[in-house]
Amino acid sequence: MSEEDLLRKITERFGEKIIEAKVLGKRRVSILVSPDAYKDVVRYAAQDLGLEFLSCLSGVDRGDSLEVVAHLGYSMHVLIKTRVSKDDPAVDSITDILPAASLYEREIHDLLGIAFKGHPNLKRIFLPEDWPEGVYPLRKDYSPEHPKPLRGGEAV
Amino acid sequence: MSFEVPIGPQHPIHVEPLMLSLEVEGELIVDADVDVSYIHRGIEKALELRPYIQGLYLVERICGICNAAHSLCYCLNVEQLLGKEAPPRARYLRIVVEELSRIHSHLLWLGHYFHTLGFETLFMYFWRDRERVMDMLELITGNRVTTAYNTIGGVRRDLPPDAEQKLRRTLDYIEERVRYYEKVIDSEPTILARTQGVGILKPGDAVRMGVVGPHLRASGIKHDVRLDDPYSGHDEIPFNVITWDTCDCYARVKVRLRETSECVNMIRYALDHMPSGDYRLKIPPFFKAPPGESLSRVEAPRGELIHYSISDGGDRPYRYRVRTPTLANLLSVIEMLRSRGDYEVYIADVPAILGGIDPCICCSARILITDEAKKRRTITTLDDIIRFSRGRRVERR
Repeated sequence: MSEEDLLRKITERFGEKIIEAKVLGKRRVSILVSPDAYKDVVRYAAQDLGLEFLSCLSGVDRGDSLEVVAHLGYSMHVLIKTRVSKDDPAVDSITDILPAASLYEREIHDLLGIAFKGHPNLKRIFLPEDWPEGVYPLRKDYSPEHPKPLRGGEAV
Repeated sequence: MSFEVPIGPQHPIHVEPLMLSLEVEGELIVDADVDVSYIHRGIEKALELRPYIQGLYLVERICGICNAAHSLCYCLNVEQLLGKEAPPRARYLRIVVEELSRIHSHLLWLGHYFHTLGFETLFMYFWRDRERVMDMLELITGNRVTTAYNTIGGVRRDLPPDAEQKLRRTLDYIEERVRYYEKVIDSEPTILARTQGVGILKPGDAVRMGVVGPHLRASGIKHDVRLDDPYSGHDEIPFNVITWDTCDCYARVKVRLRETSECVNMIRYALDHMPSGDYRLKIPPFFKAPPGESLSRVEAPRGELIHYSISDGGDRPYRYRVRTPTLANLLSVIEMLRSRGDYEVYIADVPAILGGIDPCICCSARILITDEAKKRRTITTLDDIIRFSRGRRVERR
């Protein structure tokens, strides 16, 4: 299946839920979808298009919104993206479709503060257990030059 | 009645900090959980704060063993952003160094793996042979461990005049040793008893868990980035993708051992067909990348490595995402450690199973200094490290 065929199949199926679809290069396809359709698009890609391998999930701070990117496929690499607003960001968890998402969703929850609705165990994975709540190191407003106090000690 | 047994964060089976919490009933493991939070270094954030050329040296330090794969992946990513491609000779030289470091990594793993199984002699043998490969890396790149060979637009230096001959001699030696090791492994009852039927991961589960690299191929799935998504002239070089279908720890040993001899053949082919011409493009050290996004994938010794970057047109990446192979493989450890049905896992199997994925924790959890006496942690800045390296004490602000 060529890059264009894949894009056509997904856009025909989901219509106006697809905000932007483009070919990034050889074997690279990027699709931006609305948050309510994100899980359905991932399910369709994994179960009907044979992209059942999840390489990883990435999280990006886009300034006014936060973006989740699902990387799917062995040879063809499909990026399925969705954006949510920064106040109370939440995205549907895809762990029930692709169990591999489990650790990546915990990583994004840790570092960017996006909640994944329906994740069975959204615990800390990378940050120390006494890292303050509500501080997300990969957001653009966080600067490592000005560390916040940990363990309730005085400012350092 | 079940108990929870912690293994780690410091434990002789593994030199890096990793915490396994096992729920056991007698000797039988019924559930497991894993914690990798001990050495998260925040490299993704650090990459956003540095010009592209400084990032190159930082990514190499994500992992000492797979440094060639990380720097290659970074260079491919930035070249893609700039719309440039390395000249043919650079592509072949990159393959030579990449495959050499794969041999070194596989030999290191094999040695370490048999060490965790209690086979000290084989550990010494493998590591002795690995030294020969390290000498070759030093000869070609100038460094033994952190090779710093790849650079944006090509490689840093050409092959030294006498390198080819020495390299071929080393390859002959490695090939012969691998043949010998294969005989040892197949005839040594202790190794067979410790690995066969241990840590089963069925092909379906392997795909569901997102497993990559030799670990995936040991479950019988033929996936290799070099084959599926050739990135540095791999479509011109013939090679076999090694798979094994017993899906156990024995399969993981066999796949890595046979891959080592495949690497030898690939390097020979690359030397035989080495294109002439430039080995790097001239790209100024400081530049602005056009806005856009780029994604590069490389088959690191431990599996598929992904670098995904977004540029906003500045002189540093807006976002740089690194997904290392060990993180992808960790989830499967939990699955393999859980007894279910007639598949039983015992505490004694933990080193064999955990070792089987070739874990590299410092790459999965990417500086935090803890001052235990004062009970506080500070994040070390680059300035602190520079001051520290000049012999002055790091002042606490």
